[in-house]
Amino acid sequence: MTRHHHGQPDLGTGKKNLGIYVTGFIICSILTLIAFGAVMTSQFSKPVLFFIIFSAACIQFLVQLICFLRLNVETVQGKINVMSFVFTGVILIGIIMGSLWIMWNCNYYMSH
Amino acid sequence: MQSEISLHEDHDVEGTDVFGFWLYIMSDCILFACLFATFLVLHAPGSPGPQLKTWLSLSDILIETFFLLFSNFTFCLAVLSLYQHKLLRIQFWLGISFLLGAGFIFMELKEFIHLASEGFRWDVNAMASSFFALVGTHGLHVSCGLIWILIMMIQIPLLKHQDKIARRRMTYLGLFWNFLDIVWIFVFTIVYLMGAI
Repeated sequence: MTRHHHGQPDLGTGKKNLGIYVTGFIICSILTLIAFGAVMTSQFSKPVLFFIIFSAACIQFLVQLICFLRLNVETVQGKINVMSFVFTGVILIGIIMGSLWIMWNCNYYMSH
Repeated sequence: MQSEISLHEDHDVEGTDVFGFWLYIMSDCILFACLFATFLVLHAPGSPGPQLKTWLSLSDILIETFFLLFSNFTFCLAVLSLYQHKLLRIQFWLGISFLLGAGFIFMELKEFIHLASEGFRWDVNAMASSFFALVGTHGLHVSCGLIWILIMMIQIPLLKHQDKIARRRMTYLGLFWNFLDIVWIFVFTIVYLMGAI
Protein backbone atom coordinates (compact mmCIF):
# COMPACT_ATOMS: atom_id res chain seq x y z
CA MET A 1 0.00 0.00 0.00
CA THR A 2 1.27 3.44 -0.80
CA ARG A 3 1.04 6.29 1.66
CA HIS A 4 -0.01 9.72 0.50
CA HIS A 5 0.99 13.24 1.26
CA HIS A 6 -1.21 14.73 3.96
CA GLY A 7 -3.52 11.70 3.86
CA GLN A 8 -5.16 12.87 0.62
CA PRO A 9 -6.59 10.29 -1.77
CA ASP A 10 -4.40 9.39 -4.72
CA LEU A 11 -6.22 10.65 -7.79
CA GLY A 12 -3.15 10.47 -10.01
CA THR A 13 -3.45 14.18 -10.84
CA GLY A 14 -0.38 15.44 -8.98
CA LYS A 15 0.05 18.23 -6.46
CA LYS A 16 -1.57 21.58 -7.06
CA ASN A 17 0.63 24.62 -7.42
CA LEU A 18 0.23 27.94 -9.12
CA GLY A 19 3.71 28.09 -10.67
CA ILE A 20 3.23 25.13 -12.98
CA TYR A 21 -0.16 26.45 -14.21
CA VAL A 22 1.29 29.87 -15.02
CA THR A 23 4.29 28.29 -16.79
CA GLY A 24 1.99 26.02 -18.78
CA PHE A 25 -0.28 28.89 -19.75
CA ILE A 26 2.61 31.10 -20.92
CA ILE A 27 4.25 28.32 -22.96
CA CYS A 28 0.91 27.38 -24.57
CA SER A 29 0.17 31.01 -25.45
CA ILE A 30 3.58 31.44 -27.09
CA LEU A 31 3.23 28.20 -29.09
CA THR A 32 -0.28 29.16 -30.25
CA LEU A 33 0.96 32.57 -31.36
CA ILE A 34 3.92 31.00 -33.20
CA ALA A 35 1.63 28.58 -35.09
CA PHE A 36 -0.93 31.25 -36.06
CA GLY A 37 1.73 33.87 -36.76
CA ALA A 38 3.60 31.54 -39.14
CA VAL A 39 0.45 30.81 -41.15
CA MET A 40 -1.00 34.35 -41.08
CA THR A 41 2.19 36.10 -42.23
CA SER A 42 2.78 33.29 -44.80
CA GLN A 43 6.42 34.06 -45.41
CA PHE A 44 7.47 30.41 -45.42
CA SER A 45 7.12 27.64 -47.97
CA LYS A 46 4.47 24.94 -47.47
CA PRO A 47 6.67 22.16 -46.02
CA VAL A 48 8.24 24.60 -43.54
CA LEU A 49 4.78 25.82 -42.45
CA PHE A 50 3.58 22.23 -41.94
CA PHE A 51 6.68 21.51 -39.89
CA ILE A 52 6.18 24.63 -37.74
CA ILE A 53 2.47 24.12 -36.99
CA PHE A 54 2.81 20.40 -36.27
CA SER A 55 5.81 20.75 -34.01
CA ALA A 56 4.06 23.64 -32.18
CA ALA A 57 0.95 21.45 -31.75
CA CYS A 58 2.93 18.46 -30.48
CA ILE A 59 4.92 20.54 -27.97
CA GLN A 60 1.74 22.28 -26.78
CA PHE A 61 0.08 18.88 -26.41
CA LEU A 62 2.92 17.67 -24.17
CA VAL A 63 2.94 20.91 -22.16
CA GLN A 64 -0.82 20.64 -21.55
CA LEU A 65 -0.48 17.01 -20.51
CA ILE A 66 2.22 17.80 -17.98
CA CYS A 67 1.10 21.23 -16.72
CA PHE A 68 -2.71 21.04 -16.83
CA LEU A 69 -3.70 17.37 -16.86
CA ARG A 70 -0.76 16.72 -14.49
CA LEU A 71 0.11 13.37 -15.98
CA ASN A 72 2.89 11.90 -13.84
CA VAL A 73 4.49 8.64 -12.82
CA GLU A 74 5.12 9.58 -9.19
CA THR A 75 2.16 7.66 -7.75
CA VAL A 76 0.65 4.27 -8.53
CA GLN A 77 -2.52 5.87 -9.89
CA GLY A 78 -0.47 8.22 -12.04
CA LYS A 79 1.38 5.26 -13.55
CA ILE A 80 -1.90 3.49 -14.36
CA ASN A 81 -3.20 6.69 -15.98
CA VAL A 82 -0.09 6.98 -18.13
CA MET A 83 -0.36 3.31 -19.14
CA SER A 84 -3.98 3.69 -20.28
CA PHE A 85 -3.02 6.92 -22.03
CA VAL A 86 -0.23 5.22 -23.98
CA PHE A 87 -2.61 2.41 -24.96
CA THR A 88 -5.12 4.98 -26.23
CA GLY A 89 -2.30 6.56 -28.22
CA VAL A 90 -1.57 3.24 -29.93
CA ILE A 91 -5.26 2.77 -30.87
CA LEU A 92 -5.43 6.39 -32.04
CA ILE A 93 -2.42 6.05 -34.34
CA GLY A 94 -3.88 2.78 -35.64
CA ILE A 95 -7.18 4.42 -36.54
CA ILE A 96 -5.78 7.60 -38.12
CA MET A 97 -2.72 6.21 -39.89
CA GLY A 98 -4.61 3.07 -40.94
CA SER A 99 -7.46 5.06 -42.52
CA LEU A 100 -5.08 7.39 -44.33
CA TRP A 101 -2.96 4.50 -45.60
CA ILE A 102 -5.93 2.51 -46.90
CA MET A 103 -7.55 5.53 -48.55
CA TRP A 104 -4.26 6.61 -50.09
CA ASN A 105 -3.87 3.13 -51.58
CA CYS A 106 -7.44 3.14 -52.92
CA ASN A 107 -6.80 6.51 -54.50
CA TYR A 108 -3.50 5.29 -55.99
CA TYR A 109 -5.03 2.19 -57.60
CA MET A 110 -8.03 4.17 -58.87
CA SER A 111 -5.81 6.51 -60.84
CA HIS A 112 -3.20 4.00 -62.08
CA MET B 1 -6.45 -0.35 13.09
CA GLN B 2 -10.09 -0.49 12.14
CA SER B 3 -10.16 3.13 11.06
CA GLU B 4 -6.94 2.62 9.10
CA ILE B 5 -8.53 -0.13 7.03
CA SER B 6 -11.66 1.87 6.27
CA LEU B 7 -9.43 4.79 5.26
CA HIS B 8 -7.68 2.59 2.74
CA GLU B 9 -10.93 1.33 1.34
CA ASP B 10 -12.08 4.89 1.00
CA HIS B 11 -8.96 5.84 -0.90
CA ASP B 12 -9.31 2.88 -3.23
CA VAL B 13 -12.87 3.89 -4.11
CA GLU B 14 -11.83 7.50 -4.80
CA GLY B 15 -8.91 6.42 -6.95
CA THR B 16 -11.01 3.92 -8.89
CA ASP B 17 -13.74 6.51 -9.51
CA VAL B 18 -11.34 9.02 -10.98
CA PHE B 19 -9.62 6.28 -12.99
CA GLY B 20 -13.01 5.32 -14.42
CA PHE B 21 -13.58 8.88 -15.52
CA TRP B 22 -10.09 8.94 -17.01
CA LEU B 23 -10.99 5.86 -19.06
CA TYR B 24 -14.11 7.66 -20.31
CA ILE B 25 -11.88 10.54 -21.42
CA MET B 26 -9.63 8.06 -23.22
CA SER B 27 -12.59 6.51 -25.05
CA ASP B 28 -13.70 10.02 -26.00
CA CYS B 29 -10.21 10.46 -27.48
CA ILE B 30 -10.90 7.50 -29.75
CA LEU B 31 -14.22 9.06 -30.82
CA PHE B 32 -12.35 12.22 -31.82
CA ALA B 33 -9.66 10.13 -33.54
CA CYS B 34 -12.36 8.59 -35.77
CA LEU B 35 -13.72 12.04 -36.63
CA PHE B 36 -10.22 13.34 -37.36
CA ALA B 37 -9.51 10.30 -39.57
CA THR B 38 -12.76 10.93 -41.48
CA PHE B 39 -11.92 14.60 -41.94
CA LEU B 40 -8.38 13.85 -43.11
CA VAL B 41 -9.57 11.26 -45.61
CA LEU B 42 -12.33 13.47 -47.07
CA HIS B 43 -10.28 16.64 -47.02
CA ALA B 44 -8.95 16.64 -50.56
CA PRO B 45 -7.79 20.07 -51.75
CA GLY B 46 -8.99 19.58 -55.31
CA SER B 47 -12.51 18.35 -54.44
CA PRO B 48 -15.54 19.92 -56.13
CA GLY B 49 -17.82 22.32 -54.30
CA PRO B 50 -17.04 25.27 -52.04
CA GLN B 51 -13.74 25.35 -50.18
CA LEU B 52 -13.37 26.13 -46.50
CA LYS B 53 -10.30 28.26 -47.21
CA THR B 54 -12.33 30.97 -48.93
CA TRP B 55 -14.23 32.02 -45.81
CA LEU B 56 -11.72 31.17 -43.14
CA SER B 57 -10.98 33.98 -40.70
CA LEU B 58 -7.83 32.95 -38.82
CA SER B 59 -7.94 35.91 -36.45
CA ASP B 60 -11.35 34.76 -35.17
CA ILE B 61 -9.97 31.26 -34.64
CA LEU B 62 -7.02 32.74 -32.74
CA ILE B 63 -9.41 34.57 -30.40
CA GLU B 64 -11.44 31.38 -29.89
CA THR B 65 -8.24 29.48 -29.09
CA PHE B 66 -7.29 32.04 -26.46
CA PHE B 67 -10.79 31.97 -24.96
CA LEU B 68 -10.47 28.24 -24.44
CA LEU B 69 -6.86 28.34 -23.24
CA PHE B 70 -7.59 31.12 -20.78
CA SER B 71 -10.72 29.34 -19.56
CA ASN B 72 -8.59 26.27 -18.93
CA PHE B 73 -6.13 28.33 -16.92
CA THR B 74 -8.83 30.03 -14.80
CA PHE B 75 -10.33 26.60 -14.11
CA CYS B 76 -6.96 25.48 -12.75
CA LEU B 77 -7.03 28.56 -10.50
CA ALA B 78 -10.49 27.50 -9.28
CA VAL B 79 -9.11 24.05 -8.39
CA LEU B 80 -6.24 25.75 -6.58
CA SER B 81 -8.70 27.89 -4.58
CA LEU B 82 -10.66 24.75 -3.68
CA TYR B 83 -7.53 23.29 -2.11
CA GLN B 84 -7.05 26.57 -0.18
CA HIS B 85 -10.68 26.51 1.05
CA LYS B 86 -11.58 29.89 -0.45
CA LEU B 87 -15.22 29.55 -1.37
CA LEU B 88 -15.77 32.93 -2.97
CA ARG B 89 -12.64 32.71 -5.03
CA ILE B 90 -13.67 29.28 -6.39
CA GLN B 91 -16.98 30.75 -7.52
CA PHE B 92 -15.25 33.74 -9.09
CA TRP B 93 -12.81 31.64 -11.13
CA LEU B 94 -15.52 29.15 -12.13
CA GLY B 95 -17.64 32.08 -13.29
CA ILE B 96 -14.76 33.45 -15.38
CA SER B 97 -14.14 29.98 -16.86
CA PHE B 98 -17.81 29.77 -17.75
CA LEU B 99 -17.86 33.18 -19.43
CA LEU B 100 -14.73 32.44 -21.46
CA GLY B 101 -16.13 29.07 -22.53
CA ALA B 102 -19.42 30.72 -23.46
CA GLY B 103 -17.46 33.27 -25.52
CA PHE B 104 -15.83 30.39 -27.37
CA ILE B 105 -19.18 28.75 -28.14
CA PHE B 106 -20.70 32.08 -29.18
CA MET B 107 -17.86 32.74 -31.67
CA GLU B 108 -18.02 29.20 -33.00
CA LEU B 109 -21.78 29.43 -33.60
CA LYS B 110 -21.32 32.80 -35.28
CA GLU B 111 -18.69 31.25 -37.54
CA PHE B 112 -20.96 28.28 -38.39
CA ILE B 113 -23.85 30.60 -39.26
CA HIS B 114 -21.53 32.75 -41.38
CA LEU B 115 -20.17 29.67 -43.23
CA ALA B 116 -23.67 28.29 -43.81
CA SER B 117 -24.99 31.60 -45.13
CA GLU B 118 -22.04 31.82 -47.54
CA GLY B 119 -22.90 28.42 -49.00
CA PHE B 120 -20.48 26.18 -47.07
CA ARG B 121 -23.25 24.06 -45.54
CA TRP B 122 -22.97 20.56 -44.06
CA ASP B 123 -24.97 19.11 -46.96
CA VAL B 124 -22.92 20.44 -49.89
CA ASN B 125 -20.18 17.79 -49.88
CA ALA B 126 -18.57 15.09 -47.78
CA MET B 127 -15.73 17.37 -46.71
CA ALA B 128 -18.15 19.96 -45.33
CA SER B 129 -20.07 17.24 -43.49
CA SER B 130 -16.91 15.91 -41.86
CA PHE B 131 -15.87 19.48 -40.94
CA PHE B 132 -19.16 20.21 -39.18
CA ALA B 133 -19.19 16.76 -37.54
CA LEU B 134 -15.70 17.20 -36.11
CA VAL B 135 -15.88 20.84 -35.00
CA GLY B 136 -19.54 20.43 -33.98
CA THR B 137 -18.79 17.43 -31.76
CA HIS B 138 -16.08 19.42 -30.02
CA GLY B 139 -18.47 22.36 -29.63
CA LEU B 140 -21.12 20.05 -28.19
CA HIS B 141 -18.63 18.75 -25.64
CA VAL B 142 -17.73 22.32 -24.65
CA SER B 143 -21.44 23.16 -24.26
CA CYS B 144 -21.87 20.15 -21.95
CA GLY B 145 -18.82 21.34 -20.03
CA LEU B 146 -20.43 24.79 -19.64
CA ILE B 147 -23.59 23.27 -18.16
CA TRP B 148 -21.38 21.17 -15.90
CA ILE B 149 -19.52 24.28 -14.67
CA LEU B 150 -22.88 25.89 -13.78
CA ILE B 151 -23.91 22.78 -11.85
CA MET B 152 -20.52 22.81 -10.11
CA MET B 153 -21.07 26.43 -9.04
CA ILE B 154 -24.30 25.36 -7.34
CA GLN B 155 -22.68 22.30 -5.77
CA ILE B 156 -19.62 24.02 -4.31
CA PRO B 157 -21.48 25.88 -1.52
CA LEU B 158 -23.56 22.76 -0.77
CA LEU B 159 -20.43 20.63 -0.39
CA LYS B 160 -18.74 23.18 1.88
CA HIS B 161 -18.04 20.65 4.62
CA GLN B 162 -17.38 17.67 2.37
CA ASP B 163 -13.97 18.45 1.00
CA LYS B 164 -13.33 15.01 -0.36
CA ILE B 165 -16.45 14.89 -2.53
CA ALA B 166 -15.97 18.46 -3.76
CA ARG B 167 -12.37 17.74 -4.71
CA ARG B 168 -13.28 14.56 -6.55
CA ARG B 169 -16.02 16.29 -8.53
CA MET B 170 -13.74 19.18 -9.42
CA THR B 171 -11.15 16.64 -10.57
CA TYR B 172 -13.67 15.10 -12.98
CA LEU B 173 -14.63 18.44 -14.42
CA GLY B 174 -11.00 19.52 -14.59
CA LEU B 175 -10.02 16.43 -16.57
CA PHE B 176 -12.94 16.99 -18.95
CA TRP B 177 -12.23 20.71 -19.45
CA ASN B 178 -8.48 20.22 -20.00
CA PHE B 179 -9.15 17.36 -22.38
CA LEU B 180 -11.36 19.61 -24.52
CA ASP B 181 -8.58 22.17 -24.78
CA ILE B 182 -6.15 19.44 -25.85
CA VAL B 183 -8.57 18.28 -28.57
CA TRP B 184 -8.90 21.92 -29.69
CA ILE B 185 -5.10 22.13 -30.28
CA PHE B 186 -5.49 19.46 -32.92
CA VAL B 187 -8.71 20.92 -34.31
CA PHE B 188 -7.14 24.32 -34.96
CA THR B 189 -3.90 22.80 -36.28
CA ILE B 190 -5.41 20.17 -38.58
CA VAL B 191 -8.69 21.80 -39.63
CA TYR B 192 -8.00 25.52 -39.62
CA LEU B 193 -4.25 26.07 -40.02
CA MET B 194 -3.79 23.19 -42.47
CA GLY B 195 -6.92 24.37 -44.30
CA ALA B 196 -5.54 27.89 -44.60
CA ILE B 197 -2.11 26.91 -45.93
